[in-house]
Amino acid sequence: MQWWCSATGFPWTWAWQWYPGVHLLLVLFAIGWWQLGRRQRWSARPWRWFALAWITLLITLDWPIGKLGAGYLASVHTGQFLLLTLAVGPSLIKCIPPGGWLALAPVGTRRWRLLRTLARPLPGLLCYTGLVITTHFPAVVDGAMTSQLGSLSIDLTWLAAGFFLWWPIAAPRAFAALGVWGTIGYIFAATVGPTIPAMMMVFSDWPIYQLYELAPRVWLHFTANQDLKLAGLTMKLIGDVPLWITAMVVFFRGTNAQGEMVNA
Amino acid sequence: MSVVQRSAAILFAAGTLACHGNPDALLSAHGFIGAELASPLPKPSVLFTDSRGHPFQLDSATAGMVTLLLFGYTSCPDVCPVHLANLAAVLDKMPDDVQRAVTVVFVTTDPARDTPAVLDAWVKGFDPHFIGLTGSDSIIATAQRMVHLQQAVKGKPDATGAYPVGHAAGVIAFTRDGLGRVEYPPGTRQRDWAHDLPILAGYGAK
Repeated sequence: MQWWCSATGFPWTWAWQWYPGVHLLLVLFAIGWWQLGRRQRWSARPWRWFALAWITLLITLDWPIGKLGAGYLASVHTGQFLLLTLAVGPSLIKCIPPGGWLALAPVGTRRWRLLRTLARPLPGLLCYTGLVITTHFPAVVDGAMTSQLGSLSIDLTWLAAGFFLWWPIAAPRAFAALGVWGTIGYIFAATVGPTIPAMMMVFSDWPIYQLYELAPRVWLHFTANQDLKLAGLTMKLIGDVPLWITAMVVFFRGTNAQGEMVNA
Repeated sequence: MSVVQRSAAILFAAGTLACHGNPDALLSAHGFIGAELASPLPKPSVLFTDSRGHPFQLDSATAGMVTLLLFGYTSCPDVCPVHLANLAAVLDKMPDDVQRAVTVVFVTTDPARDTPAVLDAWVKGFDPHFIGLTGSDSIIATAQRMVHLQQAVKGKPDATGAYPVGHAAGVIAFTRDGLGRVEYPPGTRQRDWAHDLPILAGYGAK
């Protein structure tokens, strides 16, 4: 039995497979979140953010997407990256209320200083971009995805990348360091990192990942080359959309707030 | 391009190289990435039936061509479609003279299920120029023996009656002089083919 989805080299099958590690992680996440809320006595639980994070984790890591992304299709692997960094990342931050974060890292403590540092644009950008580029190196992908531990490491690294990306944007005020224009500039800078692996995927003459090039085909005439191009395009074109939308939301909220101040 | 972008691009390129390694270190005596055979094999002189139902004498019908010969079956869930898809993708990007010089020949090891019509649709789905061949079990066994490949073995049928066929999964490359000189195992990548096909096309060319 496999605990976590990884590449096996076996032909793809649409028969359901159980990955206990994924379900264990989800149960632990739910228990941890529930206990944290009880211990910190949250007045209101951010249920929606928790549900979004939990359901997206289930969809991304479990069969079939987890299995397809781990060993068969680079485009699904990229889709997992986008879901973990762009959907689960901010949801994890928002599923703990601002008071909860402050209770975890009270003002003036070492934890608070760390989270405050990570809320600045350069550390956030460097951590996110570094992790995105590293986890898309062909040597890293080909090496990691063939073992359950390696595949789990990539998934957890993408969760961390999602946190680093969104913390400067979505952190509670006690940690936040960016204004409206700073946030918008940060968001645009954050779109640069994924462009590099995306361009490699789209413009390389030959498939860059051995794993996906030689994997048994899921659909006979959906080739490894088409899959890789789709992966690159997905990463860049679809991946940028949530960030642009966030930038627009930040902009309009900022201008509305300015207008209200002028009117007052 | 900013310093961060440039550094990231260099790092990514370094990672790509680390994965690809240095192919020159692994080349055979004649510069192939594929494994050169210790002694060249003559192209089998066997009469098959092609996927349109016409007789196909392998050695004479492919004379003067680089012939990439592989055995497999259309229900193969892994190696066969990967080989053919990779060859089709690489040939598509090769110069015209290489494309014209190379022919890909797929011989079924499952003639019972791979009727000419099934074989034709499957093989031509990868590339209209690919050739699908079939024949009696004894003809196919003879051809495999002549190129020193293990005989294909039919596996146990499942509940639906479908069965796997164990078969040698390499591709044997015959140069234009009709001799099989290089073998490509499963796992041969497109960039390996892209490196070797022009050499094969030029090998023994008059």
